Amino acid sequence: MSTLAVRGLTRRFGALVVLDDVRFQLDAGQIAVVVGPNGSGKTTLLRCVVGADRPDEGEVLLDGRRCDETDPRVRAAVAAALDDIDFFPDLSVVEHLELLAYAHGGTAEPVAEVLAELALEPARDQLPATLSSGQRRRLALASCFVRPRRLLVLDEPEQRLDVRGRAWLAQRLLREKAAGTAVLMASHDTELIDRVADRRIEIGG
Amino acid sequence: MTSTRTLPPAVVGPTPRQLRARLRQARRRHHPGSLGEVLTDAYVVVLFVALYGWFAVAAIRDHLAAPQVARTDPGDRYWIAVAAVTAGAGLVWWGLRLTGPLLVTPAAHAWLVSSPVDRRAWLLPRFGGLVGGGTIGVGLLAVAAAYAGGLDRPADLAWAALAGLTGGATATGWAVVAQGTAPTPHWARLPAVGLPAVGATIAVLVVLGHATGWSPPLPPVPLTPVVGLVLLPVALASTGSAYRRLPRVDRAALTTGAQFANAATTAAVLLDPSLLAALVESRRWRAVGLVRGRPLRAGGRFAVLLQAEVRRLARRRGALVGWAGALLAMYAVAVALPSIAGPAHLVLAYLSTGRLTGGLRAVSRSAGLRRSLGGSDTLLRLTHLVVPGVGATVWYLATLPALRPVPVALDAVLLLGVVTAAFWAGTRPPMRYGGAMVSTPFAMVPVDLVRQVLRGPDLVAVLVVVQLLAG
Repeated sequence: MSTLAVRGLTRRFGALVVLDDVRFQLDAGQIAVVVGPNGSGKTTLLRCVVGADRPDEGEVLLDGRRCDETDPRVRAAVAAALDDIDFFPDLSVVEHLELLAYAHGGTAEPVAEVLAELALEPARDQLPATLSSGQRRRLALASCFVRPRRLLVLDEPEQRLDVRGRAWLAQRLLREKAAGTAVLMASHDTELIDRVADRRIEIGG
Repeated sequence: MTSTRTLPPAVVGPTPRQLRARLRQARRRHHPGSLGEVLTDAYVVVLFVALYGWFAVAAIRDHLAAPQVARTDPGDRYWIAVAAVTAGAGLVWWGLRLTGPLLVTPAAHAWLVSSPVDRRAWLLPRFGGLVGGGTIGVGLLAVAAAYAGGLDRPADLAWAALAGLTGGATATGWAVVAQGTAPTPHWARLPAVGLPAVGATIAVLVVLGHATGWSPPLPPVPLTPVVGLVLLPVALASTGSAYRRLPRVDRAALTTGAQFANAATTAAVLLDPSLLAALVESRRWRAVGLVRGRPLRAGGRFAVLLQAEVRRLARRRGALVGWAGALLAMYAVAVALPSIAGPAHLVLAYLSTGRLTGGLRAVSRSAGLRRSLGGSDTLLRLTHLVVPGVGATVWYLATLPALRPVPVALDAVLLLGVVTAAFWAGTRPPMRYGGAMVSTPFAMVPVDLVRQVLRGPDLVAVLVVVQLLAG
């Protein structure tokens, strides 16, 4: 059984059809990259998958069951870094990650390791307002790695990462894949796509 | 390296209470705010709302008891008030749906509510505050309205309170039920359109009846007990249904309202209402999505810009509905409260013209847009004044019979003043921060904000004075 299945997904904004009958499946340990030109609906597709937006038609299945964001088991399984993440202005980087790990029933144990991996260790006590856009992006990505996950959804994760950051990202995605996580991501980075993707989902072509 | 774990079906995590405690604990490390400070702020707000609210209620009550108002037909006044309350209820419902009404901040969602924490338990305090605040707030408003309307017997005020309490609970309860239902049920869209339509129909009937010399009779029994008793079981049912729906309020529903709340908070903190208006505008156009494009006819910069302005207006039906609604409101005021019809005419003319100044506001706010359109700023602004100017003239002439049978010389001055006020308001520059501040009972307020808020209404106030002096 596929970890993720999307069937007949359609999303309209008024009379504008952004997604039209999108279908695909994604197994555990697979990386699928959504590709398409600007405005083709990549972000909208990811938002519908994680429940941040409601499709007009179609369904999203997680392990063969309807992927309902109100189900705690779905929230426990799906980790996502989209472009709508926000931060508590009065909590530091490390406090954000510890809070999230705790909310998922875990401990602060993985936080130090993730901070080091994402080169956020020097910024661990900084407040979000003092972070650069690249550091904020890294913090958003870090939020996916301090918690359990079976499906990882990333919207253009390479954005605002420097060369070393992009190299790390490719390695990290391959490790996720090896660990059995299904990864669905949108990207414009052909080098990254060539390196990690098992399949491409073309939309809006 | 961290490892990926496969989760068991059952999700074990902290309770919402534990999670909130953890968040508070982390925050307290950085800024130890006291409960006393929060209570002091709340006290100041409640004090000022109560103080100015009481002044407003007393002033309205005195005015309604004045001989020039008492001469109007009580049936006309009563049903116009019913129309206004009905239309207002529709707008309240629209506001509730726009803001959620349940919401969590984007940060809370990203770092807390996206976890497996029990959703009903997480939302319960907000739900309690929403239903409690909505119920008590509307109840108090109903009592204030009844008292302002001349009622002072305890029984009458108690029935008004019951109608308000049950109305508030019904609205908030069903709004949460609608929020927790996916896809959004059809009935959830009806009150925002249906109630204003019913209110408008009542107002039209009263106005037309008045014009033919007929006035609707007062109802044999007051409406407030009927509304209160009918809505009582509905309010209980809606609150119960909403409670049961809490676990089904999904991320899409929570974050849609949160975007609005976030913009509202930013607008409040930065004291810049245009930030909120920008989001409402963006939502409105996103809901439209696609429009039929036709080439603009060549004919010079002025003609092309004017065509674009007319085309944008045709796509903003809400602006036209608001413009027409102000027209009906003017006739309703003239029937129910002729004593204030003159000033109301100017204020409503200004407000209705403001609905047509979207293009003027857009070009005035953005220097980049003006640069890309080319031509002088004056030409651009004057071009975008044509539609508001025509709209104001039509509106003014269409409502003039509510005041006097034939126009007088003063009307030309007042009409020109209204268009100038709309232009003055529509060409507000963006807010400037870091300027001088003025101390108010609520807080320090930037002088530029006062200037922004008063730009437009200040000229209308002058026009009202001119009108009163001219008799």
